[in-house]
Amino acid sequence: MKEIRLANKIIKTLIKDRIQYPGRLFADTSSLVARCGVLLLLYSYVFKLNNGVVNGATFDVVAWSMFFYFSFSVLGLSSISRRIMNDVTSGHVEVFLSKPIVYLSYRAWWAIGTGIYPFLVVTPLGALALALTVGIPQTMTTTLFISTFVAAFIGAIALTLLVYSILGLFAFWIEDASPVFWVVDKAVMILGGSYLPIALFPDFMYKVALYSPFGASVFVTHTAYESWASVWYKLIGIQLFWILVLGTVTYLMFSKAVKKVSVNGG
Amino acid sequence: MKEELHFALYAIKKNIQSSAELRTSFLMNVFGMAINNVAFIVLWVFFVQSVGVIGGWTAADIVGLQGFTALCYGLSLTFSGGIKRLPDYVANGSFDRFMLSPKNILVRVATSAFGASGVGDIVFGVTCLVIYGVLIHASIAQALLIVLLVALSTVLFFAVVVVIYSVSFLFTDATYIVNGIFELFLTPSLFHGGAFQGAIRGFFMFIVPALLVGTIPVEIVKDLSMEKLAIVGAFTVIWSVLAIKIFNRAVRRYESSNFMTFGG
Repeated sequence: MKEIRLANKIIKTLIKDRIQYPGRLFADTSSLVARCGVLLLLYSYVFKLNNGVVNGATFDVVAWSMFFYFSFSVLGLSSISRRIMNDVTSGHVEVFLSKPIVYLSYRAWWAIGTGIYPFLVVTPLGALALALTVGIPQTMTTTLFISTFVAAFIGAIALTLLVYSILGLFAFWIEDASPVFWVVDKAVMILGGSYLPIALFPDFMYKVALYSPFGASVFVTHTAYESWASVWYKLIGIQLFWILVLGTVTYLMFSKAVKKVSVNGG
Repeated sequence: MKEELHFALYAIKKNIQSSAELRTSFLMNVFGMAINNVAFIVLWVFFVQSVGVIGGWTAADIVGLQGFTALCYGLSLTFSGGIKRLPDYVANGSFDRFMLSPKNILVRVATSAFGASGVGDIVFGVTCLVIYGVLIHASIAQALLIVLLVALSTVLFFAVVVVIYSVSFLFTDATYIVNGIFELFLTPSLFHGGAFQGAIRGFFMFIVPALLVGTIPVEIVKDLSMEKLAIVGAFTVIWSVLAIKIFNRAVRRYESSNFMTFGG
């Protein structure tokens, strides 16, 4: 109950804060337009050159899949990593650890609270623009899609937070964990189907995307494809597996990390 | 001019020395960034494998594109990393110290910070361009063109960055706005150049000059196109003049916002 109250308070406060800064919303929107918008224009040209079909996928399905990736990235959950790193390097982490809160869940709610406002504004607008320009593929009009999409989305949030929390916790052992962050972030970007849609993945890369936590953390991109109807339970199962594994790793790392903190006063 | 250049080189030297003190962190940043950049090559090479050659662009051209863009980014923002801190300087009032300096403000701001990870971009960029040269069996003329285009594109890249970051003086909370505009400029410069056609190609050449950094230089080297070289040269001059003018005008809008602090 206390945890829910804390989460509620953090999210409400951060939404109010974000509303006060329209510039940040502009940044999120232009980031989505720069990446997703330009990519979609390029892919529409590529699909036109290939008579509308590449590797058995049509443009509308690929467009929605890529949109899901970029829309999910607007949530900015990867920021949890930077915040943990900053807390550790600045020494602020000792203040959080002395409070009656669970530090990692506090940071997780903070990450969700920071991104939820731009996500709720930018995603519907982007989805509407996409629906009007490329239409809604048949695969996204089924009841199965809606229910499983929500499950994959929630799984993606949990897994992303775990992957990036682990990266943040590296700051307890490494002087500057940013390079590790870059490499993992790019792995998520490639295997998530951002710049290169899943439909264009070579076979071995598709397998890596399927069975690694990096690809699994953005399984929402798979939901637009026709194959989703037959593999959704397998993919959500993989997501759950990684949530359990990485949840345990995060718990163990955090327990060890807390023992490393030495309060020097100041 | 000579004095400013001397000062800039001195500041860069001190920044490098300071950054290299944290050796492990420095090396991790360099190699981390180089590995990070490989991701784009992997992506676009798979793209070429899946959809075939588009607009005459092969996998080798992708290597060249990433080389040009990474090298321009690295050369511009490693040694002149301070320009990316401009929104913070303006927001927290620390821009005052640049105003009070007898040196050129733009040079002072630009050389006020060093981006260690940018060295990784430079290493990656040079490696890519060497590989690109080998892959296309570059002639001496093409090799010289690559060197010339790196110089031109770096100046152009830096000029555009100065224009973008000058926006910091126009808004209270400029960090996010400036980063958003920068993203709009940088992201298309990393995309497969052959897929930019028609109006979108014109937009990203003449309005947002993202393609002039990597895509067009690759096409110049490939086709030995003097026409495109002239366009890059002309736009480098135009954007450089614009950058200096816009930066100087923007600085006039700066209002000191010192923080009052008490105690030790």
